[in-house]
Amino acid sequence: MTKRLLEFRNATAIAGVGYTPFTKNSGASTLTLACRAVLAALADAGLTADDVDGLATHRVGDSAPPTLVGPALGLTDLSWHLDQFGGGSVSHAVVGQAALAVATGMAETVVCYRAINARSEFRMGGTGRGLPVSPEVQYQAPYGYVAPPQQYAMYARAHMLRYGTTAEHFGTLAVTQRANAAKNPRALMRSPITLDDYLASRWIAEPFRLLDCCLETDGACAVVVTTAERARELRRPPVLISAAAWGGGQSHLSGGDPTVTAAAGLAPRLYAQAGLGPEDVDVAEIYDCFTYSVIVQLEDYGFCPKGEGGPYVASGATALDGPLPVNTHGGFLSEGYVHGVNHIAEAVSQLRGEAGDRQVPGAEVALSTAQPGYILPATSALILRRA
Amino acid sequence: MTVHRPEPDRDSREWWERVARGEFTVQRCAGCGADRFPARAFCPACRSEEWEWRAVPPEGRVESWIVSHQPFVPGLATPYVVVLVRLAAVPDGLVHGNWRGGREPRGGERVHGVFRRVDADLTLVDWGPAG
Ligand SMILES: [Zn+2]
Repeated sequence: MTKRLLEFRNATAIAGVGYTPFTKNSGASTLTLACRAVLAALADAGLTADDVDGLATHRVGDSAPPTLVGPALGLTDLSWHLDQFGGGSVSHAVVGQAALAVATGMAETVVCYRAINARSEFRMGGTGRGLPVSPEVQYQAPYGYVAPPQQYAMYARAHMLRYGTTAEHFGTLAVTQRANAAKNPRALMRSPITLDDYLASRWIAEPFRLLDCCLETDGACAVVVTTAERARELRRPPVLISAAAWGGGQSHLSGGDPTVTAAAGLAPRLYAQAGLGPEDVDVAEIYDCFTYSVIVQLEDYGFCPKGEGGPYVASGATALDGPLPVNTHGGFLSEGYVHGVNHIAEAVSQLRGEAGDRQVPGAEVALSTAQPGYILPATSALILRRA
Repeated sequence: MTVHRPEPDRDSREWWERVARGEFTVQRCAGCGADRFPARAFCPACRSEEWEWRAVPPEGRVESWIVSHQPFVPGLATPYVVVLVRLAAVPDGLVHGNWRGGREPRGGERVHGVFRRVDADLTLVDWGPAG
């Protein structure tokens, strides 16, 4: 690793997080949701919009870009912004790029946000939605293969065939995350479920049932990125960005090994940048668009050997009292779906020790990850630590 | 059974035209001889832009499948099976299609392509058990 990359380690921090309520119908535009979340994150940090010189988001043509949010908040001379095309694959890259901007001095205070009406407007699950623009769609859509739950179900089945992963493994993950959501006042789905409830839930695309699939949510979430030095002077305990990595490349839509994701390539770079390994991670907020997404990432981020993600979850390892609490907020499956940013915000809450009934005692290091690269062939992740 | 018609791009138009003639093709790189699917101008192995179509038997093995229940495509009757096939001719190539087996697929089983003429302008490739 280069000296310059080493200097990036812990040079920047997340100084604030902000949310709107998570609902099935926000009754507000994505522009309004974005403004609310940005202002909430700034208030959390003890800052105001006048302190902001950078804005960043990711979106798939479904939400308000910085060029709308900036002027709407009276910010007419930003020194840096980013309007990143992409879904969950790039959620953590946006924060990483904001950290780069801050580390180089191009901006001092960047707010990264995602505002989404994924239930009341642009159905993220694909039902009734237009097709994405990709040359691979022509080989799939004519066969009725158009939606993320179908695609992920296909990869999940490949993993089941190869490694013996079972419905009970997927179900245990859903049950565990719901138990976490029951301790999270913000979560949309807080009623505990059992493995029988999981198995009885209706088919979406076999092998996936309803309870394998994330929620579709209206809401917004934002985080404030600034230098570690400045964050120490602000209202909240700073959470340092120890590593940020993004990349990938293998398209699973037309080739490769469907049981391995871009995270397998990214993880060594991420850990090296932080100077840490999977054994140092106290809590992990892992992109859970579907149950299987977590299982494959537990393998690809090195928490268990390849093929053993299912048994690892079934052992209780990812429960709140296990050796690696995962998706302590309930994740997309039970808290809500804000396209990765709510995972980053939850990691911050855990590292500040502010997660209430779902707090992981003494959490110092958190991993948070993006969509591992099945649909858009790229991924991104952050390692955060308590200052 | 189809609602979405494929929208060929400039790299793939001839691939679809050949399917309409009952021909299943992959591309063979003139630079290094590697076969590839789907249709692209450049060889990812040697970056050559020189290639030719090669007709191959539509054969492969079942990599995975789903039984789709949710009405993701309005107007398409559910449930239906989409199968993911690893092509015999291109070991790194995966192709999707509907299943014509009369039973669920089995992991790893050998399958062959079945041309489905939808109308005068469109033919698709489904998959069923080999032999
Ligand atoms: Zn070549």
